[in-house]
Amino acid sequence: MPLNYCLLVLAAPVSGHTSLTAARFGAALLARGHTLERVFFLDNGASNGLASAVTPQDERSPQQAWSELANTHGTELVLCVSSAVKRGLLDAAEAQRHGFPSATVYPGFTLGGLGLLVEAMQSADRVITFGAAG
Amino acid sequence: MLHTLSCAPGHPAVKDCIALLRANDALLLLGDGVYIALQHSEDWLALQQSGASLHVLDADARAAGVRQRLAACFTVVDDDGFVSLTEQHAQQMAWY
Amino acid sequence: MSTTADSGVLVVTRHPQPGRSLARAALDTALATAAFDQPVTLLFLGAGVLQLLPQQDSASVGVRNLRKVIDSMPLYDLEHYYVDAEAAEHFGLTAEDLPSGAMLVDRDAQRSLFDNHQHILGF
Repeated sequence: MPLNYCLLVLAAPVSGHTSLTAARFGAALLARGHTLERVFFLDNGASNGLASAVTPQDERSPQQAWSELANTHGTELVLCVSSAVKRGLLDAAEAQRHGFPSATVYPGFTLGGLGLLVEAMQSADRVITFGAAG
Repeated sequence: MLHTLSCAPGHPAVKDCIALLRANDALLLLGDGVYIALQHSEDWLALQQSGASLHVLDADARAAGVRQRLAACFTVVDDDGFVSLTEQHAQQMAWY
Repeated sequence: MSTTADSGVLVVTRHPQPGRSLARAALDTALATAAFDQPVTLLFLGAGVLQLLPQQDSASVGVRNLRKVIDSMPLYDLEHYYVDAEAAEHFGLTAEDLPSGAMLVDRDAQRSLFDNHQHILGF
C-alpha cells in the first residue's frame, strides 16, 4: 500500500553527507511507489537551499539532489523562513524586504513557516527526520 | 519502531538509544554510526542484547571502509531496504 | 498536549542551547504544532534537560533566553512536558530548579511516550 511521507531535514549540507542520504532516501521511497509531498528544511537544514553554494566537481550537490526530486515528482522543498533568512537564504520577496539585490535561494526551494511542517505531518503516514552529528 | 543512529561510538546518544531500544524495534546505523558495527570493537554488544533487529546502511558502511568488517549480527541494507524498514515501522526516532 | 495512543507528535529535544540552535528549533516546532491545535508532547532527554536550568541570563551573549521561552509555553497551551529523570539527577537539577509544568519520567515512561505517538521528531 502506498504511504505518504514527510521528511524533516535538520542537517546542513556541509555537515557530513546526511543531507545527501536524505535526498537518496526520498528518491528511493518514490521509486517504491510512495508519495513525498513535502520536505521541510529546519534549523541548519535550511542551508540546503543556498543557491550560491559551490560543490566540488567530484562531489554531489545537495541542492541539485533535492531539486531533482522537485522537478521529477513535484515534491515541495520548503525552507523554514526564520531559519533561512538568518542564514542569508532569501527569496525575491525577502531580498526586497531586507534591501538585498537578489534572491539567494536555489530554484525549486521555497520559504515557508512551521505551519507547513505541521500540516504535512498531519496528512503523513510516515515522518522521517534527518539530523547531523556535527 | 525504527531507530536511526548516526553518532560515533561513545557518544552519549548511543547510551540513550540503547536504553530505549526494545526487542520488536529495528535499528539502522548510518553516518558515523556505522563504526559501532565494527566486529572487533564489540561496541554493538549492548545493541545485540536488546533483541532488536540490527541494520547498517550499505553506502555509509562502504564510505567508511567498514563494509568487510561488520559484526555478524548486522544486516546490510541499501536505500531501498531503508525505505522498507520505514514501511514496517510506523515511527522513527533519529539519534545523532 | 495529548498522550492519546497513536495520535499526535512527540518532540524529543536532546541538545542543550549553547553551540547549537537545535534546542530552539525543537521548542519552535512544539509551539507551532500547538498553535495549530494539533496534539503535541515535548520530552527533554539526556543533555536536553540542561535547557531547563534556572537563572539563565543570555543577555551578554546576545541570544534569546531559552528558559524564558520554556516558561512562556503555558501561554501557548503547552502546559506540561516530560523530563528525563535520570539525566536531571545526573546534572543536579532538583524539583525546585524545574518549571512547574515539568514531569519527571523514567525510561519505561519515556518508552511509553515513544509508543503512544504517531510521529516522533528527534532534535
